[in-house]
Amino acid sequence: MTMGGFAGKVLYVDLTQGKIRQEPLDPVIAQKFIGGLGLTIKLAYDRITPGSYALYPENPIVLGAGPLVGTSLPATSRVYAVTKLPASGTVGWCGGGGGNFGCQLKNAGYDQVVIEGRADRPVFLKIIDDRVEIDDARSLWGSGVEEGCEELWKTVGRPAGVLSIGPAGENLVSFSMAYIDRLSTLGRGGFGAVMGSKNLKGIIVKGNGGIRVADRKGYKDLSETLFQRIRDYPYLKEWQDLGLLKSLPLVPVEVYENIKKRRIACVSCPIGDKDVVEIPDGKLKGLIVCSTSAANLLTPMIYGFQDYREAVRCIAILDELGLDMFEFFGVMGFAKSLCDQGIISKDRIETEIRLDSLSSLETWAKKISLREGLGGVLADGFKGILKEFGEEVKRYAPPVVKGLIPYVGPKAPLAWSLFGTMELGQVLDPRGPHVGASGSPTYFAKRPLDVFPRHLDRMGVPQEAIERILLGLGTEKQQLKVGRLLKYSHSWFSILGSLGICARAQINRFYNASLCAELYEAVTGIETDLEGLRERVERVWTLLRMANVREGFTRKDDALPEKWFEEPGFQDYLTGKPAIRQDLEQMIEDYYDEWGWDPKTGIPTEEVLKKLGLT
Amino acid sequence: MEKFTIRVNPGSCTGCLLCQLACSEHYTGSFNPSAARVQVDVSGIDCSIRFTEECNGCGVCVDYCFYEALRKEAVG
Repeated sequence: MTMGGFAGKVLYVDLTQGKIRQEPLDPVIAQKFIGGLGLTIKLAYDRITPGSYALYPENPIVLGAGPLVGTSLPATSRVYAVTKLPASGTVGWCGGGGGNFGCQLKNAGYDQVVIEGRADRPVFLKIIDDRVEIDDARSLWGSGVEEGCEELWKTVGRPAGVLSIGPAGENLVSFSMAYIDRLSTLGRGGFGAVMGSKNLKGIIVKGNGGIRVADRKGYKDLSETLFQRIRDYPYLKEWQDLGLLKSLPLVPVEVYENIKKRRIACVSCPIGDKDVVEIPDGKLKGLIVCSTSAANLLTPMIYGFQDYREAVRCIAILDELGLDMFEFFGVMGFAKSLCDQGIISKDRIETEIRLDSLSSLETWAKKISLREGLGGVLADGFKGILKEFGEEVKRYAPPVVKGLIPYVGPKAPLAWSLFGTMELGQVLDPRGPHVGASGSPTYFAKRPLDVFPRHLDRMGVPQEAIERILLGLGTEKQQLKVGRLLKYSHSWFSILGSLGICARAQINRFYNASLCAELYEAVTGIETDLEGLRERVERVWTLLRMANVREGFTRKDDALPEKWFEEPGFQDYLTGKPAIRQDLEQMIEDYYDEWGWDPKTGIPTEEVLKKLGLT
Repeated sequence: MEKFTIRVNPGSCTGCLLCQLACSEHYTGSFNPSAARVQVDVSGIDCSIRFTEECNGCGVCVDYCFYEALRKEAVG
């Protein structure tokens, strides 16, 4: 059977044996798991050896791009990786704005890539259509993300997509990430270290095969309507100009306009949100930095940096090393507390830890990435610090979930006190705290409940479920069931991810679940309706849950951090009253129940597994 | 607009390649940026945009540009 949208092949790479093979994509499996994120979860589930360690050779990296990737549909470039992650030990998804990588991968003929084993020397994977090679990367080992990416581009010429790591990934730092085209981050939870453990510096891909859609007329009608909707959006220009700074104004617009050199978009995105900036004055004058977002570059301002120029330089250093910025600041903050308490002795601190100092953080970022001295302890994140200094130092730590810092919360870097789906999602996302999969109307503070049904309908929530999520709507006793709503955040995210559509709010607002079903059918030729799409995403997310249940993770691991209940704690999204543990525990049970998983254990029931064909 | 020429403003190009996707699909029936008659080079700090010899100026690329990097300018 020939399907549109799909490139048609899966690439298998065994780095230990140096063997490469291609297999046709199984159309039955592809239909059952949609593609992209869903299919990547399925392949990872099939390839992961239960009980194996994240950094062992047998842990597979499965990469995938959905059937819409490579088409002209707006913002359809997402790339996903699924693997066991070192920070949490869980099987997690990692997703990134795909830059050129997803489009090039599809054009080269591959929907998925499975990488297993460990090379006996540093290597990179070079994919040019059917020609796939494992090449020597010893000369690239140790290079920063941008430098390494530029060198990889030179090997095949541009345009080409690159996925690569920096020194932090090479040295197995538990909060190292990989980068697409040197600017899209992929892999909170230590994906960079998984690549590093395989001696895999990067992947470069270039393709010329083209992607066909099954129903050109249907595609054209749907896409023209969609594009027109975007053109008519009154805030289009503002989002194009400001990106995330529109919703997260870390510096005045004038400052941003002063450093903005140009904006960068992933392939097919009409609201590109990546940046090239140049420092116009001061000691750092002339510094040019490419980033996943100017908002990221200015994040150190949250931690006390006074000079935005130094903030930009700080994040540029972290990106070049390949470090997760939120985790880096969280770990450094914890280490500083232990220094202040005298638990870390002065003789281990050659450079004072200061979260508002560029020179201090530059020194420590390098020490961590190269595992020098105390940096080697900090490189293993919160787990490493507790192992070195004892569990009793936990009282000085920030809240930690599954080995990572929840970066949204009352005392978190992104200070936010209302408890909605993104906040709960930090506990219930299998890989730990990340808000990307957990969006919903609660993203906006105190949005009136009467507008929720329209948004939930757009996300594909069935009417009978809306009635379970919004109780007594319009009455004085109205309630919002955040746990039940979170199921549909994850479902909506799974639809977008499996098709290959960007999940960022400024883009996904133009899509709805019914439209996604229509687009899937027009592109692939696979008959689909909304109900069919819903069933497939139930299968996708439940299988991800099973991948973790198989590793021994259950309700006990979806643990709410005790520090969330210290003053100032979260507030109930609707009433503003303090969010107490009992209420949040109930939300977790509601979430499981809404999926049809056992509310007490979080394990999918036999009945659900049977219904979804997962037994 | 009956007759037009295509004006290029590389300074506002983001490298989204919607122009190449639209062009290649229009002429080959397949989304294939490498087969497009408009080619965007994103390798520098600024993008550069060029048209291949096969380009007939039909403007389908312009219709998909969201950043005003490509514009139609009336002739006559």
